[in-house]
Amino acid sequence: MLEIYGQAFATVLLPQNLIAMVLGALWGLLAGALPGISTSMGVVLILSFTYTLAPMTALVLLVGAYLGGITGGGITSILFGIPGEPSSVPTVIEGHALAKQGKAAAAMWTYLLCSIFGGLFSVLFMIVATPLIADFALRFGPAEYFALTILGLSVVSGLSGGSMLKGFLSCFFGLFLATIGTDGITGEERFTFGTVTLLGGVNFVVAMVGLLAVSEIMMEAEEPFKEYKGMVEYRGLLEELPRFSLFRKYWLTMIRSPIIGTIVGALPGAGATIAAFLAYGEAARTAKHEPAKFGKGAIEGLMAAECANNASTGGSMTILLSLGIPGSNTTAMLVAAFMIHGMQPGPLLLSQRPDIVYGIFTAMIVINLLLLAITGTAIRLFLQLNRLPYSVFSAAILILCVVGAFGINNSVDDMMLMFVFSLIGYFMRKFGVPVAPCILALVLGDLAELSLRRALLLSGGSPLGLVSSPISAVLLLGALVSIVYPLIKKPKMLASS
Amino acid sequence: MKTKGEVVFFAVCVAFFGFMGAQAVALMGEGRAGEIGSALWPLIALCAALGLSAVLLFQAVRRPAAAAVGGEASEPDARDEARRRRKAVVASTACFFLYLVAISFLGFILATLFFIPAFAFALGERRTKVLVAAPLILTTVMTAVFIKFLTIPFPKGVGVFAAFSRLFY
Repeated sequence: MLEIYGQAFATVLLPQNLIAMVLGALWGLLAGALPGISTSMGVVLILSFTYTLAPMTALVLLVGAYLGGITGGGITSILFGIPGEPSSVPTVIEGHALAKQGKAAAAMWTYLLCSIFGGLFSVLFMIVATPLIADFALRFGPAEYFALTILGLSVVSGLSGGSMLKGFLSCFFGLFLATIGTDGITGEERFTFGTVTLLGGVNFVVAMVGLLAVSEIMMEAEEPFKEYKGMVEYRGLLEELPRFSLFRKYWLTMIRSPIIGTIVGALPGAGATIAAFLAYGEAARTAKHEPAKFGKGAIEGLMAAECANNASTGGSMTILLSLGIPGSNTTAMLVAAFMIHGMQPGPLLLSQRPDIVYGIFTAMIVINLLLLAITGTAIRLFLQLNRLPYSVFSAAILILCVVGAFGINNSVDDMMLMFVFSLIGYFMRKFGVPVAPCILALVLGDLAELSLRRALLLSGGSPLGLVSSPISAVLLLGALVSIVYPLIKKPKMLASS
Repeated sequence: MKTKGEVVFFAVCVAFFGFMGAQAVALMGEGRAGEIGSALWPLIALCAALGLSAVLLFQAVRRPAAAAVGGEASEPDARDEARRRRKAVVASTACFFLYLVAISFLGFILATLFFIPAFAFALGERRTKVLVAAPLILTTVMTAVFIKFLTIPFPKGVGVFAAFSRLFY
């Protein structure tokens, strides 16, 4: 085992991979820190850079952006009170309150150290859990795969936001989009209307760029961006670095929050936002030292939220690598990256490409340490970046979207298809239909359909074949619980947080 | 509160999923025992989407109208603001669409050079320095990274524009 990790470290620390991790982490930090660019959007935007890269280099670049994005969300949250990411909302509540009390730099360092601690904690969980889950998943046949994709799709209830009906509408639209093109079993053309562009199906990168990134810019155009010019005093590293006694004082929060984050992150669809809220809520509920400070600048609340949202990354990556289920928007983009490089994340990946899996484990450790170094030295730079005119900044993002869409097949048609998806995404957002379930369904739809059809062929057309094995029955039951549980619990949890 | 746009949106959804559902029915055919053919899966998705769209349309139609309840939409300032926002979205979207069309005719470099100030202007940017400097800097960076470094074969344009693009790639 040690030999495998030794080789993985040697691969990850190759100059090209190290550069990719630094660039990915930097870009992720930017994307997470700047309002208007989410982590998933940040990952989509650099996906086009990875087409020509070696698989390992491409993946560490994207994982760097993912971890950087989750970490970067705290920067603008604390300094300007704007959550760069939805998972940073508790950070805004406590961190920005601390900033207004003149403790911005101390809050920044606390957030950073807790984020990295949460991230590293979850990587250790991932190292232990992924091989175990993957071994188990090797017993999967078509029925189990179908049940697994349904479990993946069941996270729609968690991604739906306000309206479950709209979330499911978006999901079924995504499932329909996944059927466009040539049928993988019969070779029949479906919904192509004679166009060559659609024969190969709807490319999910094109759809993602349009639905997520371009439509977000269109929404921003509706509500003009505010320019934040407030400067925050910075007295230097030694003055601002939190003392060890602070972490000792809140030791229970430091242990409990990453555990919550990792477990919630591993649940498909739950993600960093719910993890952060849960850990924050738990810290507020059990606070012994200064419970009255919660909501007015409690450092314990900040620590809990940041430990948990970063720890969710390891949980999400565990189910992505071991089962192939994208637990969040961003990990769905990572599925796309795997597929672009001819790999399918899931049970077989560990046996077919252990170099990639162990490489990602070790890369996540290195990236977390890089994030500590980069963010620690670049806090002042981030302050300056929020002074850029948003009008020009958004134009640059759109150009990156065009590059991303064109670069897949070097096709102008793909750019136009992206534009169509951006309009669809804009109107979906405008009328409260979430786009995330659509993307999730587009990614999982093809596998779900093929698995269902193969399972039914094997069982001679009997639907009972889908629940004949204990694994598929349990997974389908899990899907049912996953749909029903948020309906009961989510409103209560958010209200208490 | 009901908005006209919401009703139209869900009505379009009903029409779209209904039309695609009819297309899916045409895909149905006989298969071997247990074989479910090309049509079943899209039919399930489309029927569910059609049903949900119809429910959401029904809900939108039954909701009380926005102006009648809040009365805010009738205020001149709010209407002006809403109109200004719509204009910004339409103008910026039109700029982006024209950019996508223009790439084929003008080539990537020239189209990008014109797109950036036009888009920034549509979003309300009026500072001359920004409108002049940003396109030059951004186009140079994009050309260097994507054309020179990553060698993505962007369209060169036609005629004299193609000749211009060939100076760079």
